[in-house]
Amino acid sequence: MARLEIDWTRCDGHGLCATLLGGDVALDEWGFPVLKGREITAGEVPDARRAVLACPALALRLDKSVKR
Amino acid sequence: MKTLLATSVIGDARLLAGLDRGRLDRQAHLWTHGAQPQLTRAAYAELCEAVGLKGRGGAAFPVARKLAGLPERGIEAVVVNGSESEPVSRKDRLLLTLAPHLVLDGATGLAHALGAPHVLIAVHDAEAAQSVREAILERDDRLAIEVTETPGRFVAGEARAVLSALEGGPAVPPGRKVLPTQQGYHRRPTFLSNVETFAQLAVLARLGARSYSSTGLSSEPGTQLLTVAGAVRRPGVIETPTGVPLETVLQYTGADAGPVLLGGYHGRWLAQTGVTLQGVGIVVALGTETCPLGEVHRVAQWLASQSAGQCGPCVFGLAGLVDDFDRLIRGEAEGWYDAQRHLGLVPGRGACAHPDGAARFLASALEAFDDDVRRHLAGAGGCGRPVLGVLEVTHG
Ligand code: SF4
Ligand code: SF4
Repeated sequence: MARLEIDWTRCDGHGLCATLLGGDVALDEWGFPVLKGREITAGEVPDARRAVLACPALALRLDKSVKR
Repeated sequence: MKTLLATSVIGDARLLAGLDRGRLDRQAHLWTHGAQPQLTRAAYAELCEAVGLKGRGGAAFPVARKLAGLPERGIEAVVVNGSESEPVSRKDRLLLTLAPHLVLDGATGLAHALGAPHVLIAVHDAEAAQSVREAILERDDRLAIEVTETPGRFVAGEARAVLSALEGGPAVPPGRKVLPTQQGYHRRPTFLSNVETFAQLAVLARLGARSYSSTGLSSEPGTQLLTVAGAVRRPGVIETPTGVPLETVLQYTGADAGPVLLGGYHGRWLAQTGVTLQGVGIVVALGTETCPLGEVHRVAQWLASQSAGQCGPCVFGLAGLVDDFDRLIRGEAEGWYDAQRHLGLVPGRGACAHPDGAARFLASALEAFDDDVRRHLAGAGGCGRPVLGVLEVTHG
């Protein structure tokens, strides 16, 4: 189980994550990502990881420690 | 002494004991409080658990839990957060200025118990820093005690921002969420708490759990410091038993009738009466002469200016809210709708809790001042009252 996380000190609102992960990330009116906060299932992890690697600001992360 | 350091007491004077005669030097401190007993880590853990002591910096985290989160083999530092960045609050600089030895007793006693070689004190007020430096020269604690002056910006008071500043870095919160108990000063385990917490620890070590619990709520006994400000005849810092009725504090300080803000600019406007005070720290009476929405708008501008400028949703969201309140006050209904939307977009979307606190303050204002909102939206010059600046925002 994993969850997306954003380091807000790095994110500069490129919005790439919303393009790659439309189901999990929307954009607010300023172009910053709004996470839907859903668990990323094991099958979706590869896609999520690809988005994490694509984030130009290294702001998007996949946190696997959360168990809530 | 400056009038802003006026003190008064309802019930037992503990932290403020002896301060009616001014600052307590080493001798006056020992005369008033007696010597600090040397306690073990286990004894501190037991005492804190027994009285349910919580951190007094606003987050109200149980001290016993914080102690339990530290490694047994010793820690790097005990950090006293005296940056007191909330502009209305005066209690921490008051303690550091007038009762520095009580705070130092609490910090050094705990440092010895936890095996911490360093005690670091972050202060933002020059007079308070001077008082602590003088006090350190009067003592011999066999510890490396350092006083550092930190910037006064709101967010600079956040625990991780303080640690960053103490390490010589910028006084802003880092992007990663780390716990100071695990990765604090120089990424080593650290006990960090607010000034009042350490003064409480010094009192608790002397009194023991039973005497400490002779006043206040049974769930969280003892006393608390409140800064009372705004439309009151006797503003200042007041020590009361925990759970004191708000009414008692308002009467005692001679507050005007009208809305009350609890907890400062990350706090809440009161919707109901009959509340008791615990874990609050700040009480501001607004009075009835000033335009509440205009006051809140000024604070919103200040809150937006205090964002460390690191996180997009915090920067754009708070700026948006300032504009929303501005339009709302001028009678534009759009402003109200936009504010509702922006209040939903800001919380939880920053590296620190500043956007959450600011949104809480603004959302509670829209609720508590619903009647005033209607009056402003009805046009014809709003509520007709001037903005007097009862809510202080200029403090650097
Ligand atoms: S791709 Fe990265 S920088 Fe761009 S919006 Fe998403 S998290 Fe922010
Ligand atoms: S959330 Fe706001 S105040 Fe906190 S670090 Fe980010 S920009 Fe600064």
